[in-house]
Amino acid sequence: MRIILIGGGEVGYALARALAPNHDLHVIDHNPAVADRFHPLDVSFVPGSGTSAEVLGLGDVESSDLVIACTGLDEVNIIACALAKKLGATKTVCFVSGNDFLESVSGGYSLREHFGVDQTIWPEAQLADAIQRIIAAPGAIDAESFAGGQVRLLEYRLESGSPLTAAPIASLQLPRGAVVVAAKRGDTITIPHGETHLKPGDKVIVMGRGDAMVAMEARVAPDGRNLRDARQVTIIGGGDVGFRLAQLLDSRDDVSVRMIERDRVRGEMLAATLANALILSGDGTDLELLEMEEIGRSDVLVSVIDNDERNLLASLLGRQLGVTKIITRVSKVANLRLFERVGIDVALSAKGAAVESIVREVEGGKAKVLAVLEEGEAKIFELVVPDDFPATALRDLATPPESIVGTILRHGDAIVPHGNDRIEPGDRLLVFCTDTSADLMRTFFTSS
Amino acid sequence: MRLAIVFHLTGTILRFLGAAFVAPLLIALYSRESADAITFLATGVAAVVLGEVMRRQIRHREWTLKRVEALAVVVVTYLLVAMIGAVPYAMNGMTAADAMFESMSGITGTGATTLTDFDYFGRGLMFWRSMSQWLGGLGIITLFIAVLPRLAIGGRQLFFTETTTTPGSGGLKPHVRETAGMLWRLYVGLTLAEFVALMLAGLSAYDAICHAMTTISAGGFSPNPESIMGYNSAAVEWIICGFMFLAGTNFVLQYQTLLRGQLKASIADDEFRVYTAIVAIATIALTVFLLQTDMATATAVRSGLFQSLSILTTTGYASADFSLWTEQSRMVLLVLMFIGGCAGSAAGGPKIWRQILIARYTLLELKRTLHPRALLPVKLGGKVVPEDVMRAVLVFFLFYLLLFAVCVGVVVALGADILTGVTATTGTLGNIGPGFGQVGPMANYAGLHTVSKVVLTAAMLVGRLEVLTVLALLRPEAWRSLTLRGD
Repeated sequence: MRIILIGGGEVGYALARALAPNHDLHVIDHNPAVADRFHPLDVSFVPGSGTSAEVLGLGDVESSDLVIACTGLDEVNIIACALAKKLGATKTVCFVSGNDFLESVSGGYSLREHFGVDQTIWPEAQLADAIQRIIAAPGAIDAESFAGGQVRLLEYRLESGSPLTAAPIASLQLPRGAVVVAAKRGDTITIPHGETHLKPGDKVIVMGRGDAMVAMEARVAPDGRNLRDARQVTIIGGGDVGFRLAQLLDSRDDVSVRMIERDRVRGEMLAATLANALILSGDGTDLELLEMEEIGRSDVLVSVIDNDERNLLASLLGRQLGVTKIITRVSKVANLRLFERVGIDVALSAKGAAVESIVREVEGGKAKVLAVLEEGEAKIFELVVPDDFPATALRDLATPPESIVGTILRHGDAIVPHGNDRIEPGDRLLVFCTDTSADLMRTFFTSS
Repeated sequence: MRLAIVFHLTGTILRFLGAAFVAPLLIALYSRESADAITFLATGVAAVVLGEVMRRQIRHREWTLKRVEALAVVVVTYLLVAMIGAVPYAMNGMTAADAMFESMSGITGTGATTLTDFDYFGRGLMFWRSMSQWLGGLGIITLFIAVLPRLAIGGRQLFFTETTTTPGSGGLKPHVRETAGMLWRLYVGLTLAEFVALMLAGLSAYDAICHAMTTISAGGFSPNPESIMGYNSAAVEWIICGFMFLAGTNFVLQYQTLLRGQLKASIADDEFRVYTAIVAIATIALTVFLLQTDMATATAVRSGLFQSLSILTTTGYASADFSLWTEQSRMVLLVLMFIGGCAGSAAGGPKIWRQILIARYTLLELKRTLHPRALLPVKLGGKVVPEDVMRAVLVFFLFYLLLFAVCVGVVVALGADILTGVTATTGTLGNIGPGFGQVGPMANYAGLHTVSKVVLTAAMLVGRLEVLTVLALLRPEAWRSLTLRGD
């Protein structure tokens, strides 16, 4: 694929690193000094502005398949996309950093119609949405939903005494409609089978229909201790992510939000806009403030300051004060592993997620990759069973190892299959597999 | 303060006030009350002449209106209009204090009266009495801004000095003249609608127009000595209930809702919702208390609603002699006297938006005690109320209480009982009209000491202009740079 990247910042660099091995890449940035950074990658660097037709022409825009505008300025990104589209680019992706361009004219379609922007990506909003999904799932440390919300995917860390650790999976009698699709112990991820015996400290990924997942949630926590719905959420940092998250939570009656923001003027804006959230003016790392406001009694602490060190400090203080679930934003992707090492349950990166979603789309090919988990070690993708494929019971299907059919989508219904369920031509399958077996799985249905 | 400019603007308004006397003049001629007709003619001509003389104090157009001058124009206009309006009463034998009280009660939409013998006055004068309330209902300045093309300079300042709008209220037109015109068209339309409805309910044209004018203005004068009770008609009471409710509602909101079909505007409006809730709660409370006496259910509901609306909207009509009701019922009415109607309505009193802000401010202070570092802005309609507006509201209440205490003190010291003192003060300061005791709905203010009447006349003006406008003029610096020149 011929790809033009406009903007050689953090996002541009991460995209270039991920896409350079398999695609032709032109990187455009007005700052020639940036070129050094891209030098080790096998890409062509064009100095100049992405809003110049001449510069875009140097990047062979007329024959490009994809133009991604990811400079720090929304206006530049939009103009670059509009120009690229006019000059013949097949598809344009535009990074934005605010609501203005998405909703200013009827439902966000204006950008497509008037500016030729095929897809907009607002990383901070995506992160806020992801955090909101995790908050909504009690006990979970990651959450996704597929098939219009019918199927949910939750990740848990098992504590000692959790019913799931009592026996091998086959004899646990898990609720029908939910299936354990992955277990991670240390750094190795495995697809469990009937004999797998889960242990405390493992991370497990469970997939299933909404109703079954509720029953599943009750089986995760140690006996006699119910997972509590998040009722009290504390957000540290009222930037783009914190503000949007607060907006998402603000309208819910069952969640009370308090937010700590250091900048008083920003805080006043937040207090003016949010109807129910309690805005506290102060520093999220101010222990006195955290204690005075009894932050330790929160069900969830979300730390989304745009400074990794202060985020980590606020999160660790929260843990010290007794918050059970802590979600932290990480700006530098390199810090992700570090955060989890020191005991942060969930560390998420806004730009990382955005980059991932683009890579997923570019690399996915025919099979539609729905989610990438555990930093790319596992994937969920959607496969369509070919029409000439004979209907087979799942237990008789010799699927590649380290893969599992999580859900069968048939005529709009979501079926979480057991061994006896049959796979029929035309079914859409949500397949979970580790990175290594992804290609095997992809070719399995077409070759047999 | 440059007096020439104050005179110029006031005179411009007075000149047109003279024209208003044509209406009572015609009624007096039709009723063959020749003495009154001459009075109206003479007063009208005098107003025009006086206005013209004042207007000519300044001829060039190279001036701007200062804040203190805007305040002075509004206050002086009300005083002069009240004085001119008092002339016909005085010519009919009322004392100066009584005539001034009656006239001020008219233009401020209060409805408190010193009349003891209603039959003594002719139909022309009783018409003028009702009409004065109608002219003052939306504010005299607003009226003249709507009809005068000349008030281009300073019109906006004068409008917002006389009319307090809630912070962040929408629906206003860019030109203040269009806003005033829009309000007056609605006001006239509502008056005509009520006039027709009352005619259909069986009232004479004269009674119908007099009551239409004093309902929409939330005034409360009635040519009938027994107020609405005198007609003994359920239909009339229901009609007046409906229009009193509208008179107490924000007219800008009504314009959006009734004429542009934006029903959401009313439903979403904080003040309107609280207003409706207060009416509902007060009506239910009164109905329950009235049913404990031997009243029929239909009468209890109707009287409960009528009297709740009459007091809350500061109209002051009586469909029953509520001073004879039980203590519980009178308590409900007493509480309503301290609330008032909506901003931008014809109603007086402290106004509901201020009550909402005070309540929210107080509750947030409690929250702040628990969370000292929290940012807790007071909001109205989802928008933050600026600090200076909030401060003005607090100061308004402090002054309101202070004035209340002073007036009660004076009235009681000069011989009235405490119930009379308290309700006469709320009745005039809140522009309601009747109170309890000596100033009850079937009685009047005539028996009070002359000094009390003068104080209460001032209270009506101060209450109508929402306190701070008048009190700010009492500061010495408002007068220090007094000059007659206008440049």
